[in-house]
Amino acid sequence: MMKTFSIGGIHPSDKKISKDCKIEVLPVPSKVFISVAQHLGAPATPVVKAGDQVKVGQVIAEPAGFISAYVHSSVSGTVKSVGPRKDIAGNNVVHIEIDVEGDEWVEGVDLSDTLVTEIPQDNKAILDKIKMCGVVGLGGATFPAHVKLCPPPGKKADCLILNGAECEPYLTSDYRIMLERSKEIVIGAAIMKQVLGGCPAVIGIEENKPEAIKAMKAALAELQAAAKGYEGISVMSLKKKYPQGGEKQLIDAVMKRQVKSMGLPIDVGAVVQNVATSLAVYEAVQKNKPLITNTLTVTGDCLPLEKQHNYLFRIGMPLSYIAEYAGGVPEEAAKIISGGPMMGKAIANLDATTVKGSSSLLYLTAEQTVRGVESACIRCGKCAEACPMGLEPFLLQKYARNSMMDELEENAIQDCIECGCCLYSCPANIPLLDIIRIAKGDVIKIIRGRAIKN
Amino acid sequence: MDKLIVSPSPHLHTKTSTKSLMRDVVIALIPAVVVSVLFYGWSELLVLGVSVASCLLLEYLITKYLLKTSCTLGDWSAVITGVLLALNLPATTPWWVVFIGAVVAIGIAKMTFGGLGQNLFNPALVGRVFLLISFPTYMTDWAKPQGFITNSIVDAYSGATPLGIAKGLGPQGVEAMDYLNMLFLNIGGSAGELSAIALLLGFAYLLIRKVIKPYITLSIIGTVAVFSGIFYLANPAEYTDPLFNILSGGLLLGAIFMATDYVTSPMSKWGGVVFGVGIGVITMLIRYFGAYPEGVSFAILIMNSVVPLLNKWFHTKKYGR
Ligand code: SF4
Ligand code: SF4
Repeated sequence: MMKTFSIGGIHPSDKKISKDCKIEVLPVPSKVFISVAQHLGAPATPVVKAGDQVKVGQVIAEPAGFISAYVHSSVSGTVKSVGPRKDIAGNNVVHIEIDVEGDEWVEGVDLSDTLVTEIPQDNKAILDKIKMCGVVGLGGATFPAHVKLCPPPGKKADCLILNGAECEPYLTSDYRIMLERSKEIVIGAAIMKQVLGGCPAVIGIEENKPEAIKAMKAALAELQAAAKGYEGISVMSLKKKYPQGGEKQLIDAVMKRQVKSMGLPIDVGAVVQNVATSLAVYEAVQKNKPLITNTLTVTGDCLPLEKQHNYLFRIGMPLSYIAEYAGGVPEEAAKIISGGPMMGKAIANLDATTVKGSSSLLYLTAEQTVRGVESACIRCGKCAEACPMGLEPFLLQKYARNSMMDELEENAIQDCIECGCCLYSCPANIPLLDIIRIAKGDVIKIIRGRAIKN
Repeated sequence: MDKLIVSPSPHLHTKTSTKSLMRDVVIALIPAVVVSVLFYGWSELLVLGVSVASCLLLEYLITKYLLKTSCTLGDWSAVITGVLLALNLPATTPWWVVFIGAVVAIGIAKMTFGGLGQNLFNPALVGRVFLLISFPTYMTDWAKPQGFITNSIVDAYSGATPLGIAKGLGPQGVEAMDYLNMLFLNIGGSAGELSAIALLLGFAYLLIRKVIKPYITLSIIGTVAVFSGIFYLANPAEYTDPLFNILSGGLLLGAIFMATDYVTSPMSKWGGVVFGVGIGVITMLIRYFGAYPEGVSFAILIMNSVVPLLNKWFHTKKYGR
């Protein structure tokens, strides 16, 4: 039996339309806007001002706290302004606007194609590089990578899991890098595994991507034959089921362990990193290259095949620039998503810029995305059956509508991972997650408040 | 770009809707309906027609004039209640008795609770049991079929001459024939008890379409088999055997179509299993020791009332807890 997580899950059609589109490098536009809030945690503090000259890879904002990250310029040129600008949700966030002049990189970055397979021995130096290069988790949460790679005292990593599940429909950027940058990803995994004390590393990939499984296995075998430090890494194929790439679900699938409520993966000895993060770690550690590029999929059913793309973009490129370059927003598009259709965010403002974690421009038609009219709960239990956390969304929404906070907490609303399986499955079109998300926030506030008091 | 829709995730939704689920239940009932119309003829068609039409009409009138809510006929649930009520009644039931059954089912058991999703008891069963208590004569007048294809097939099946198949079965031939009869055509019951095969076809369809999970149905059948098996082995002269109990008295109709009603069955798997075991046990207690020859309807209604408790006791297995 192929492995997968043990509770719930759904099987939306995977729609990997753009899977065969090779990664293309987007040309640099004349202007970029780089956000200082591209990671989980405190926004970074800008360290440049209008008029400053910057090079590609230069630090332009510094972390403002333990959970925060460096931000680098993705272009060379002149800082035009530092100030608020609207992000994809339409909220004001400080951006650094840079007029592009040439393409001059900071010193020390290895821009060659040579693969560096030898892993440096100094773990502290490695962690430092990962931090200085602003590497954050690229699987969605954008949690600073170095923090996850330093387990707190008393905790030990038993397994590094590389997330290559890409369980969201439509998205193909992880798939493409697994095909085109397989070796770099494996080297990144070897580096992280060494930093974590040499625990085994498992690269989990869903079975609907056999080519990626094959490519990663081949890259691994080749590296194991050629260099040291690649023992204990393996590729595991996983059954196709959403949300396989959810951190808690992946740990369950790969390690048969479950993270306790409100706990962290490291509590059960797990560290999960996305394959794209592994690539960024490789570039940071082996090439001195900060995280200023990532891969993004332009896709949707309403795009003809020739307008489907996987792009290597520089962070700070406006989404509208990418959309234009890719051939324009299709007529039928009623909603544009950044990220996957299950957990991604609807874009309110196409002039917003790309950030480290940008993974797609997904066009959905009205027919695909407009929800049906809400009707009465028929108690079919499909939401509970689908919930990968084993919650009972029909119950949670009822309690939430009546503000029954104790009942909500007893029924573990705080464990909700906002995967959307419940809302997706509800035949009565009840906006389960919409309601649960708000109530969950309130309950977590109550729990935190209590923790502070005690 | 102001025309863009901005709303929270998830951005996709399943194609399955309340309407499609309920319509699937109606489709699953078609084999049973066809068989009963073929064998009970015009009178069965009349019962079905009156039952479905009254349920629809009543739901329409109640939502429009009493509750003043939006029309819910589109969700097909009233059709299901109508068909199930009809299949639970003898084909000879007068039209006005059927209508009273519909009034009780829709008007009392369903809409007074607030409509689909709110009712505690299965509407069709409440209607049926009400009629059983109020009009016992009509309700026990099992018809000799006056159907469209009576002569050829029914004679072949119910005739005393053993069929070709029975010959190969040796001394138990005749007994085995009885069960073959019941599997295909159980002449002399309410319409819904007519053909186990037709009902099982419906069950298979519901499972394939993922409308229901099998555990409630299976735990009812399993419990009835075990319970009657023990009694039958202890005293075969006194008690009917398991197969007879499973194939007769509307057990399959109840176990497949009425105990699995979303609204009136438990939400969790283990709650469903306990619910099924309860129905099985109560059914057999009524059959062996009670006043009525069959007990499925009562058993389901009794267990319906326990569902809120079962929902409190049994929850899904939560991740990491
Ligand atoms: S969004 Fe939350 S409640 Fe809904 S299925 Fe996912 S984890 Fe469960
Ligand atoms: S899926 Fe929707 S209709 Fe079914 S039980 Fe959950 S909330 Fe109710």
